[in-house]
Amino acid sequence: MEERVLTRNIGRPGSETLKAYRDSGGYTALSRALKEMSPEDVAERVTRSGLRGRGGAGFPTGKKWSFIPKGTGKQIYLCVNADESEPGTFKDRLLIEKDPHMVVEGTALAAYAIGCRRAYIYIRGEFVHGARVLEGALREARAAGFLGRDVLGSGVDIEIHVHRGAGAYICGEETALIESLEGKRGHPRLKPPFPAVVGLYGCPTVVNNVETLACVPHIIERGPEWFASLGPPNNGGTKLFSVSGHVSRPGVYEVRMGTPLRALLDEQCGGVAGGRRLKAVIPGGSSVPVLTADDIDVALDFESVAAKGSMLGSGGVIVMDERTCMVKAGAVVARFYAHESCGQCTPCREGTPWMERVLWRIERGEGQSGDLELLLSMCVNIFGRCLCPLGDAAAMPVRSYIQRFRDEFEYHIRERRCLAAGGFS
Amino acid sequence: MSPKPIRAKNARTIAIQLDHRAASCPEGVTVLRAAELNGVFIPSLCSHKDLSPFGGCRLCMVEIDGMRGYPLACSTVVQDGMSVLTETTAIREMRRDILELMLSEHPSSCLICTEQAECRENQYTIRKSGVSTGCRTCPKDGQCELQSLVEKLGVSEIRHPVYYRGYEAEHDDPFFDRDYNLCILCGRCVRMCQEVRGASVLAFMNRGPKTQIGPAFGRSHVEAGCEFCGACVSVCPTGALVDKASKWDGKPDGAEISTCPFCALGCQVELHHKNGRLSKVHPHLDHEINDGQLCVRGRFCLPETTHHHERARKPVLKRGRYFREVDWPEALEDVASRLRGLEAGDFLMLISPDLTNESLYTAQKFVRSVLRTNSIDSTARWALPGGTGVWSRLFSLPISIEALAHADAIIAVGLDSRFYFSVAGVQIRRALREGAVLVTIDSRDSNLARVADHWLRSAPGMEGRVLRAMVERLFSGDAGAAPHAAAGCGIEEVSLAKAVRSIASCRSLAVVVSPSAFAVDPGGELAEALFRLEGREQTTFLPLMHGTNTRGALELGALGELLPGFEKADDAARVSLADVLEGRARPKVLYLVGEAPFFERPPCEYVIAQDIYLPPFEVDAFLPAASFVEAEGTLTNVEGRVQRSAAVEHLPDGARTGRVRPDWMIFSMLAETLSADGLHFANAGEVLCEISRRVAGFPASGDRRPRRTSPTVDILPRGAGAHPPADSARRLIAEPGGFRHRGIDLSHVVEGLSELRLEEGLRLHPDDLEELGVKDGDRIVVHVDGMNVTGTARADADCAPRSVTVHRPHAYGGLAHRQGLQCLYRFDGRLLNVTVSGHRNS
Ligand SMILES: Cc1cc2nc3c(=O)[nH]c(=O)nc-3n(C[C@H](O)[C@H](O)[C@H](O)COP(=O)(O)O)c2cc1C
Ligand code: SF4
Ligand code: SF4
Ligand code: SF4
Ligand code: FES
Repeated sequence: MEERVLTRNIGRPGSETLKAYRDSGGYTALSRALKEMSPEDVAERVTRSGLRGRGGAGFPTGKKWSFIPKGTGKQIYLCVNADESEPGTFKDRLLIEKDPHMVVEGTALAAYAIGCRRAYIYIRGEFVHGARVLEGALREARAAGFLGRDVLGSGVDIEIHVHRGAGAYICGEETALIESLEGKRGHPRLKPPFPAVVGLYGCPTVVNNVETLACVPHIIERGPEWFASLGPPNNGGTKLFSVSGHVSRPGVYEVRMGTPLRALLDEQCGGVAGGRRLKAVIPGGSSVPVLTADDIDVALDFESVAAKGSMLGSGGVIVMDERTCMVKAGAVVARFYAHESCGQCTPCREGTPWMERVLWRIERGEGQSGDLELLLSMCVNIFGRCLCPLGDAAAMPVRSYIQRFRDEFEYHIRERRCLAAGGFS
Repeated sequence: MSPKPIRAKNARTIAIQLDHRAASCPEGVTVLRAAELNGVFIPSLCSHKDLSPFGGCRLCMVEIDGMRGYPLACSTVVQDGMSVLTETTAIREMRRDILELMLSEHPSSCLICTEQAECRENQYTIRKSGVSTGCRTCPKDGQCELQSLVEKLGVSEIRHPVYYRGYEAEHDDPFFDRDYNLCILCGRCVRMCQEVRGASVLAFMNRGPKTQIGPAFGRSHVEAGCEFCGACVSVCPTGALVDKASKWDGKPDGAEISTCPFCALGCQVELHHKNGRLSKVHPHLDHEINDGQLCVRGRFCLPETTHHHERARKPVLKRGRYFREVDWPEALEDVASRLRGLEAGDFLMLISPDLTNESLYTAQKFVRSVLRTNSIDSTARWALPGGTGVWSRLFSLPISIEALAHADAIIAVGLDSRFYFSVAGVQIRRALREGAVLVTIDSRDSNLARVADHWLRSAPGMEGRVLRAMVERLFSGDAGAAPHAAAGCGIEEVSLAKAVRSIASCRSLAVVVSPSAFAVDPGGELAEALFRLEGREQTTFLPLMHGTNTRGALELGALGELLPGFEKADDAARVSLADVLEGRARPKVLYLVGEAPFFERPPCEYVIAQDIYLPPFEVDAFLPAASFVEAEGTLTNVEGRVQRSAAVEHLPDGARTGRVRPDWMIFSMLAETLSADGLHFANAGEVLCEISRRVAGFPASGDRRPRRTSPTVDILPRGAGAHPPADSARRLIAEPGGFRHRGIDLSHVVEGLSELRLEEGLRLHPDDLEELGVKDGDRIVVHVDGMNVTGTARADADCAPRSVTVHRPHAYGGLAHRQGLQCLYRFDGRLLNVTVSGHRNS
């Protein structure tokens, strides 16, 4: 179950330095790849490893790289998505701050694989420390010849830059990220065209999550078969879970794909804090549908979680015990998405604030009959009808809270107080 | 980078299915456009034909066979054989839901009010109000895209409590008001300002429910560099952006297509009228010139110019020390009595190049056939530096505005298209979007220099020499370049070579030269360069001059030495404007037709003014002319198109409406009073017919085809070329001012223009001001040619370093405050070394 691949150095003093990274075998994958493998070989290994995107959508990484058109004569760009802003998700931050060279090596390998000479790490503005650590790592890597012109004498140029965001969640969405990198307002783009064809500065572009890329050196080093064998079919590798909420030991845990959620919570995190009863778990960041306590035997891989009506998402596990008011939880989530909607398209811009207002109204004990129908119809209005998936991200949790905890919502409206907290929370 | 709007030229036709019916459309268009072409309505609020797709409103969702979910019609490109459902129950439902959401943040009470019908019936006129709380108190009532969609799709209930954003309405900038409580955030204004105008004044601010439109960082529009072109206002689907002046006019009764009377581009406009009055002006979608775009003058300045309270509408005669309003017979008799029995040299008519062809032609005919003299002149002369010979030849070149948009390479000389000739700037941007190369030659910074591939920043007045050098190299390659050519122009050899190389391989080339560049090119090098280029294939020109109908004035004989059709007139005993200004002649009678090139009454016995405003000095007779919306006529644009100017106001004579007459008719009436024949015309059309008989190639009715003239006039010997400035001195640049209309400066009658103060003061680069130790607004003294001229310093970052720019007006009406600078105006065209000293305002 627990398998420390990405986190193998974490906890060691000075883990963020080049020396520590090299001591644990760092950059051997890059040197080997540059010496012995063609870019196609690297991409092919990643495809075979079954690595799927850790940013939320779980798209097969090798396949994503294969969409880059060949021979257009244009630059090819790689953007590393380090905007990690999804509530409940804090795993990329750990990698960036504690093992930045793994991210750098993964980025360099990916850049080599897709033919990119210039990659950008788009880091969330609030990660001031992380940005500094990354800059330091880039300096060290450049000085050691792992980056820059003619990397390790291979004739390949790879440069990586850090770009700090300005604090908008939407800039984690890949096309908004690209707009923001170009110096514009972070508005998602209409798709098609997809970034693989028209991305940064109109050139073919791959956007990958930090954790996704951190897996790549290990795949190259230890082989795609080994990586694939860590998880169920099509779910290769380990996965970082950021566990927060009412557990005894919240934190980031690395387990094999397919580990049961119950095992993660009970064995790794010490179970629900204070011996209270588990009520609900969000398995993949605040934007995915909630699971009830009955569902926690689910295996943590993309398909199994989806079969339970939720999503593995970014692996942000939020645990709620019996005292949690689901109405309030819903209102808090809605508040976040309303605040972070970019404002470009009608259903999300207008719909999310209404969802928030109605939820708070119910939470305050001022709900009216018909409010749940109103909320659900608003979810219908938003889901699948927006320009980018942020709208869906707002509608999915709210709909699932109401569907799975309808009694509680109805109690709130009828009795004007909270069932969970035994009164107003 | 957003995808380019799709332009389907020469595209193949493909077959598609629209709602199970066979349809066809050109390849490459969007589903929305395909539906439109086939007469199928798909609701949309954020898309616009000139703008990239935005996908914000989500109203255009459709169902397409083989595609998941509900793709957007506005951003999905049609494919051969595609089958589209534009309206299903699900889609209808969805659209209603979206509208409902939009309305939940829009003052929409009237839209869903059950008493709508009664309310409308009992409300005769629009309710003027400071804040719009519903459609009945919104200036867009009846003209709003949101309103008509709601009615069409039938939203009758809003399930969310309506939320009013509570923004303060913005009235502080000139020309248009903004109330973002009504905004649906469709982003059309933002994209228009950015993509088409290139002004990038507007942006989205904040996010989520607090998203708002406006200039970034809380600046006002003026501070953010708004051109007040009104393009944003024209595309706003709601009442968020509205013209100040016509805000409460309500829905117009109708519109006439006409020609903008303010510059030589001749943009096509729609004159909206209400109750027999011009209400507002919209750009016409005429693809040959302006394609839905205008500049601040055309978009916002017409109504104020014709309706201003100072408009003079009745004949006036001076009787002793008093002025008396009289009727036409009395006025005509008085004027006629002064015109009888004049000797040669006793008379001069000055006529404005802003008049219609009909009026210009009748005027010269009146002077020549009734008064038997060639003493007719015009400030058109000032707009034609280099002389009539040069310009008659320039007009024989292939001149095209539209060609700018399709050129592979463009050379723009001295052009800043923000406030003058904006539409040329818009066309240049269009070409840039298609990948054209732009080279600007300009001593000043400009909006075009900022987007140019190469900005050749010459010394002031050296633009012509740089262009000549470029042209020489285009023909002969770098090797054959005359080394003297670029010397002393302030341009590095390498930059010049680079610029030449970037356009050398381009097939089509367009060269545009602004009046400011012509004005400081006394040696005529610009024209020479253009003539040299004439032989190049696929090359078009746009030599620009101020004055709406300057080309017509030249062609129809409004300059004494030329008869209509460029025939030479006999030169004997002719009085000219220069003669009067320089004191060489003192005609007894001066007849000013829409002209006021003086601050003070010229020393003549009898001065007649015929205009739409009183001149800035006393006259003996004033004859009220009809304005551009009160009389029919035609105007010749720079390309030689003879375009119709429509009358939308047909005012009966009356105490309030006055007794205005078209200029040509006044000449006709005067001729009749003088018992002279040959000037009787029943209407403007008859005049045009006569012109077409008299002037070869001139059409007998409005004909919008460009014409090339056949020059018959000799080019006069050119003057001395400009000299590079002495090291220590600054250069005085007297630029022609562009805001005239007839005898008046537009910035006097149009309040918004005066707020912008675009042509005011002595303009210097901020660095120069700092060096002089003065601030914007301080008084400075310019020492030139033995004179000391005091004026207000204006910081202008576009100015050439080490120069002083002054705008020289061609019409002085309303510019009394600029009289102090008058002595500088005579330096028009010559670059002089000046020294400047400043003193702070105490
Ligand atoms: C609103 C929104 C926010 C997102 N935020 C992030 C983020 O913070 N980090 C991230 O890696 N992916 C984020 N994503 C997903 C990215 O769009 C993209 O799918 C991902 O970076 C792809 O990387 P992967 O294939 O490696 O997962 C977000 C998506 C949406 C719609
Ligand atoms: S769904 Fe929301 S965040 Fe996405 S484009 Fe629309 S308004 Fe912006
Ligand atoms: S008036 Fe023109 S320049 Fe000003 S904001 Fe509107 S579109 Fe932009
Ligand atoms: S101001 Fe008008 S054009 Fe601009 S976003 Fe709002 S509704 Fe659209
Ligand atoms: S018109 Fe297509 S989304 Fe607005």
